[in-house]
Amino acid sequence: MWALLLLIGAASVSAHLQDLSFDGQKVFRVIPQNDEQVEILNFLASIMEVDFWQPDSVTTVRPKMQVDFRVEAEKSFKVEDLLKESGMEYQVLIDNLQAALDAQFDSKVRTAGHSYEKYNDWDTIAAWTADIAAQNPDLVSRSVIGETYEGRPMYLLKLGKSGSNKKAIFVDCGFHAREWISPAFCQWFVKEAVETYGKDTVLTTLLNKLDFYVLPVVNIDGYVYTWTNDRMWRKTRSKNAGTVCVGTDPNRNFDAGWCTVGASKSPCAATYCGSAPESEKETKALADFIREHLSTIKAYLTIHSYSQLLLFPYSYTYSLPSNYQELNSIASAASKQLASLHNTKYTYGPGAKTIYPAAGGSDDWAYDLGIKYSFTFELRDTGRYGFLLPESQIKPTCEETILAVKYIANYVLEHLY
Amino acid sequence: RAMELPTSHFPAARAAAVALGYLRYLRGGPGRGLDLRELRRARRQDVDDVGHKYYLELELEDVLDKDRTVNCTAEVLYHLGSKSRAPDVQVTVQGELRSTEEADQEFYHRIRSLEKELVAENIPDSHGNVPPALQPIHLLAGVASGYLIWQNSTENTKFHLARVKHVKQVKRSDEDLQFDYVVLLHEMVSQEVIPWEVTVLWHPQRGARVSRDQRQPGHTLG
Repeated sequence: MWALLLLIGAASVSAHLQDLSFDGQKVFRVIPQNDEQVEILNFLASIMEVDFWQPDSVTTVRPKMQVDFRVEAEKSFKVEDLLKESGMEYQVLIDNLQAALDAQFDSKVRTAGHSYEKYNDWDTIAAWTADIAAQNPDLVSRSVIGETYEGRPMYLLKLGKSGSNKKAIFVDCGFHAREWISPAFCQWFVKEAVETYGKDTVLTTLLNKLDFYVLPVVNIDGYVYTWTNDRMWRKTRSKNAGTVCVGTDPNRNFDAGWCTVGASKSPCAATYCGSAPESEKETKALADFIREHLSTIKAYLTIHSYSQLLLFPYSYTYSLPSNYQELNSIASAASKQLASLHNTKYTYGPGAKTIYPAAGGSDDWAYDLGIKYSFTFELRDTGRYGFLLPESQIKPTCEETILAVKYIANYVLEHLY
Repeated sequence: RAMELPTSHFPAARAAAVALGYLRYLRGGPGRGLDLRELRRARRQDVDDVGHKYYLELELEDVLDKDRTVNCTAEVLYHLGSKSRAPDVQVTVQGELRSTEEADQEFYHRIRSLEKELVAENIPDSHGNVPPALQPIHLLAGVASGYLIWQNSTENTKFHLARVKHVKQVKRSDEDLQFDYVVLLHEMVSQEVIPWEVTVLWHPQRGARVSRDQRQPGHTLG
């Protein structure tokens, strides 16, 4: 039984990669009793395409050996006639291969169990990053930008049709461990890209002309901790010297007015800024990557929850950025786009005035580095469920947010610098 | 002498949260939860030697009937100097709130007839689910948190009920229902999640009142 599942598995992997349909195809199991019957199988293999599952070649078939093979739908009748005529012992192992494959993909027994409409744990997300890249090699590639405090690889997905001199947009999710809707959005965004490429004109143009760097979870250790120990955890999981208190707030840990306002110097606080800017391996990895690719990265989007806000610099000061009017217009239009789907109201504006002054944020840091389109999203909701946003809201939240992200990306494309 | 405030900015939003907490406490119940649909207008007046007074116009929605909204006006006075004094709040609801008489009676009799006292934890669960049978318990926690939010807010805080960590029904000899909650309050500015013990008494006609509350030491340090 397991061997059979393994074989179906093997077929399904190859099916996926080649994108063929196995509708109506049959898999036969025969036991040739003697050399004559072996010869019949040889004959069969010579007059039509026969895919031998076991053994893998007709040349190794011997009498009394169990032989499994796949044939095309139209040929299966001929094969069955031939087997009946020969008197060879046979059975139809799989009557319709496509149906069997479909059933397997729907089954919960399948490993990983990734779903875009559920919250996935880290192992599932990690496996998904590998799968999505393997399944879409022309559009998605995966790399590792660093390691977390607890030694986990930080996976980054690069989306886009390969080309030269392409500019890029950087999108990250999962800064704060308890904001589960955030990593869900990054996964959804990648899904949209691969599924609608070639169908959605806007996204196709974006992927042709730009690259998207998507970091599905920045604070992986924290995210794992919210699954295993404390759903309300926010910070990283790094040890702090001289105290039992764990973790640094990654979004207070960047070199942007670091620790001057809206952050705490106490390691026990939720907004602890860390022992120094980029003290955390995760923030350092992110910052290093952006610095290394600074000439190509033209926009920075960081996804958080909750409050339904679209923020732009500055948060570390009440001063306004030099392109404030432009950022404000973009935010206004993007918010309108978002609201157009489900009427979800977003508030937008510069961070300090709109939510609170807070130093050390990645958006301010990216902006001061020269990335002039830098935005923080705070996704649904406004407090009713807060961090515990029901899974039923993943789809509508992601769908509306994508409209805003597409708007911003399109704007950036039309205003490259 | 009242200054117009942008409703999109945090000072107005924080005052609105206090007004909402107060109103939840007064008018909420196992059959009614109120949420802020929109802050329509906000003004602020600095009252010499007294404090800062906010004048608000809010549109509220019924959690159990999203199509239903109600307008209200509120005044929130944060007292000068004293961090420990609760803001004074006045709210006027324009129009009628949906009647919850039937749901209240049903809930009351269901709980009264329980053989074993109700105990539950983690509402919602990690994935945001609230089992339908616990929905009234969740709403009642909203009432209790409304009280805590009203009593403990300052101009520099914004609280939300993050989760019911634990709830235990306590049978009483009188006609009230009693629930001992541990709620987790999320404070937006400090980003702390604060456990808070709070006891709620509730009766279908008399409504809810908090009889006891105690803030717990901070959320797990490690």
